[in-house]
Amino acid sequence: MKLVGKFVDKHGAGHVSLRPEDDEDMWHLYNLIQKGDSVRAPAIRRVQKTSATGSIESQRIRLNLTLEVTNIEFSSFSAAAEQSSSTDPSGSNNSAALQIAGRVISENPHVKLGAFHTLDIEANRDVRIEKADGWDSIALSRVNEATVPGREQKLVQSTYDPRHSPDIVPIPRKAAASGSSQHEKALTKFYGTLYDAFIRHIPFGNVGLKAIVFASPGWVRDSVYDYVMQEAGRRGEKVLQRALKEKGVRIHISSPHVHSLVEVLKSPEIAAQLKETKFARRGITLDKFHKMLATDELRAWYGPDHVVLAADRGAIGTLLISDELFRASDPVTRKKYVALVESVQQKGGDAVIFSSMHESGQQLNQLSGIAAILTFPLDVEVVEAEEAGR
Amino acid sequence: MTGPSTPTKLGMNRGPSTPARGIGVDQRTLDLSGLNLTEKEDRSAIFEEAPKTRFARDKLLEEAKKVIDSEGTERKKEVSLVVIGHVDAGKSTLMGRMLYELGRLDEKTRLANERGSNKAGKSSFSWAWSLDGTTEERERGITMDIALQSMSTPHRHITILDAPGHKDFIPNMISGASQADCALLVVDAATGEFEAGFDRGGQTREHILLVRSLGVSQVVVAINKLDQVQWSKSRYDEICDFLRPFLVQSGFHPSKTRFVPVAAMQGVNLVSLDEDAAQELRQWYNGPTLADHLDQLDAPARDIYTPLRIPISNVFKGSTSGTAVSGRLCGGVVQVGERLRVLPGDETAAVKLIEVKDESVPWAAAGMNATLYLTSIDPVHLNIGNVLCPPTNLVPLATTFTARIIIFDIQIPITCGASIELFHHSRDVPATITNLVSTLDRASGSIIKKKPRVLTKGTSAEVQITLRTQSLSGPFVARPIPLESFSVNKDMGRILLRRGGETIGAGIVLEIFG
Repeated sequence: MKLVGKFVDKHGAGHVSLRPEDDEDMWHLYNLIQKGDSVRAPAIRRVQKTSATGSIESQRIRLNLTLEVTNIEFSSFSAAAEQSSSTDPSGSNNSAALQIAGRVISENPHVKLGAFHTLDIEANRDVRIEKADGWDSIALSRVNEATVPGREQKLVQSTYDPRHSPDIVPIPRKAAASGSSQHEKALTKFYGTLYDAFIRHIPFGNVGLKAIVFASPGWVRDSVYDYVMQEAGRRGEKVLQRALKEKGVRIHISSPHVHSLVEVLKSPEIAAQLKETKFARRGITLDKFHKMLATDELRAWYGPDHVVLAADRGAIGTLLISDELFRASDPVTRKKYVALVESVQQKGGDAVIFSSMHESGQQLNQLSGIAAILTFPLDVEVVEAEEAGR
Repeated sequence: MTGPSTPTKLGMNRGPSTPARGIGVDQRTLDLSGLNLTEKEDRSAIFEEAPKTRFARDKLLEEAKKVIDSEGTERKKEVSLVVIGHVDAGKSTLMGRMLYELGRLDEKTRLANERGSNKAGKSSFSWAWSLDGTTEERERGITMDIALQSMSTPHRHITILDAPGHKDFIPNMISGASQADCALLVVDAATGEFEAGFDRGGQTREHILLVRSLGVSQVVVAINKLDQVQWSKSRYDEICDFLRPFLVQSGFHPSKTRFVPVAAMQGVNLVSLDEDAAQELRQWYNGPTLADHLDQLDAPARDIYTPLRIPISNVFKGSTSGTAVSGRLCGGVVQVGERLRVLPGDETAAVKLIEVKDESVPWAAAGMNATLYLTSIDPVHLNIGNVLCPPTNLVPLATTFTARIIIFDIQIPITCGASIELFHHSRDVPATITNLVSTLDRASGSIIKKKPRVLTKGTSAEVQITLRTQSLSGPFVARPIPLESFSVNKDMGRILLRRGGETIGAGIVLEIFG
């Protein structure tokens, strides 16, 4: 995302203009814009004019509109992208859609004040955002994070599962007699389908691409890698062959399900490549929390009420918080969490904000969306009793 | 519906079908104690005949009952056996050799395998090749999927499910174990190998817990590769002493566990102890051979009066026409010509042919591993993990349900919202533990604490489980799976939970919310 302009005074009043470029940027915008904010963006509106004779003339006009947001919707994958392999946070195919609905608050020759409109936010079109109750630290840090140049480290992952993918043919298991050859035949067919899906979905020609990860339990990843390599050779796909040689990484995971993507991000091969990126850091932090839960239960707390109690006692070393909590439509709730993050950071603690668009964030959401690793042990029940006694 | 579990009890009490019932210990009390699987029995309950649907059905049930009752007297008893153990313990080799000794594997195939494996530079895998059929398995010298074979001893017809030992293929092993009545545990006696398999991260321990949680209550332990430790009796005793307490702790009754020393590669003590190679073993062992032990396995009770349930474990193209599916019947009877519903889904199929042990039969009953040839259905609707049931009596579909689980030896405790993989027969689906309802006392089942924060190792608990969507893209709602509560159908109500490549718990389904 490009930062086009930023005019924010020290009290948080002002506006920020941004130019989204890919899916991830749409997600950032979705998290930035809240109910009540005013958003200015280009829009296409059908304008009807009634002439003196009574005939109705309808025109589509491209114009800039400023809305006061009443509703905001994000859908990550359009129907066309519903395929077996998915590009996780990839910008190659813009499939995320962001829609902002609200009332027009600036007069315009074509549109009346107070008329409703729904904006479809498009890539590479500027969006100006003005916050209803000022820019808080979380919102500003998100703007910074989203607009840092060179953020373009992306990871394309192809998730694959022989049994559940819609593309995929069922593979008969090996059986006593005839099953064996059937198994092999189906397997070849499966690799073929996978190769086609690979070509269709993965932008292997893209120079910005960091790594192509083949992850699976067992040796399927090796077989698939070899097959794709061979097939590329046979069909003379030089670009693909080179991309595979340079960027192909094979990683062992324990299950073919989507939540094993976290394992991929934690694996040493990928962690090294993505050392400074948020994905790896989030995965590692969540892992740390789980480990703490196992070794010292009193130092790993989760749930909004408990975490707030721990923060009151200045005990939080690392705060894990999901962006879903900041998206709360109720500004009071959002303010509460913003204050929590600020207080933790003030006391020298670390706050890691998880994105619900990624697997680690979804796992945190399941865990009530907020968790904390404490610097010293505290017994939940004792603390609760203390609070009740007050 | 009448209580479907009642007929079993009645059958067990009077039926000559289960002669072993009186001897030894009541099998029903042997389930994992922490799960409190034994239910209070209401012996006064009288079984009411299911409403008469078709005359033919009554007749079929009668015939099935008669045939099952005659097992052990006129016919050989049918048992299915899953072969388990750590990777490279010699499971496939043992079974390959066993098949040869019992005459199931002809000389020609044996020679072909020997030549083939020699050529590949893996002569030690020659016996395993009779079960490891695929190119990849042979190349890597490792079993990757369940191999199904059958053999017969003087008094038993045994269906063998050779399970993979490697930890990445445990899903396949679970699929096999859920079709078995008994287990054959193969352990490697070589110095250091047994310990590696038994320690944390080894599959010996995990496999034992898995098969037990899936309702297997008899186990034969074959101590393999004794030739590599010079047939040392002390080593044999050491391993037995090591395993015995663990097996008891896992819920296997001592009278249902048997130990036998073997050397699979040489074929020592598999069927006989007479060969030259067995000379050293004969000096201190003259007990029963492995085949003798297998010949004494008890056949489980067959519940033919419950509604039909067939979880599909394999789908392939039939030799003539139609699509073949195989799996074990978890209840009821099925006959040729019947229409069956495929769940999940809206499709029905007609049964054209039923095969049990490579022979065409007119019907199959609960407990049998059958292959059904289905017609009038598009094969795309048949998938591994689907369940076949009568159109009049459907399996409920579940996305959210409560379960009573027991947590295994895990490092990271389970919190609310933990991502897990749920295993049910041949199906594994991603799921989330959405609610920790309560922790329970392992012995009495009474509630210790409501709404616990975490579940640590060794606890027994009631939790709510919700299925997750299968992929990142596509529909965001989880697809339901066919499931039944344990009180309705035992086989259909057992689940296993895994996470990050290790089994974290096992349990039973209590209630399905939809």
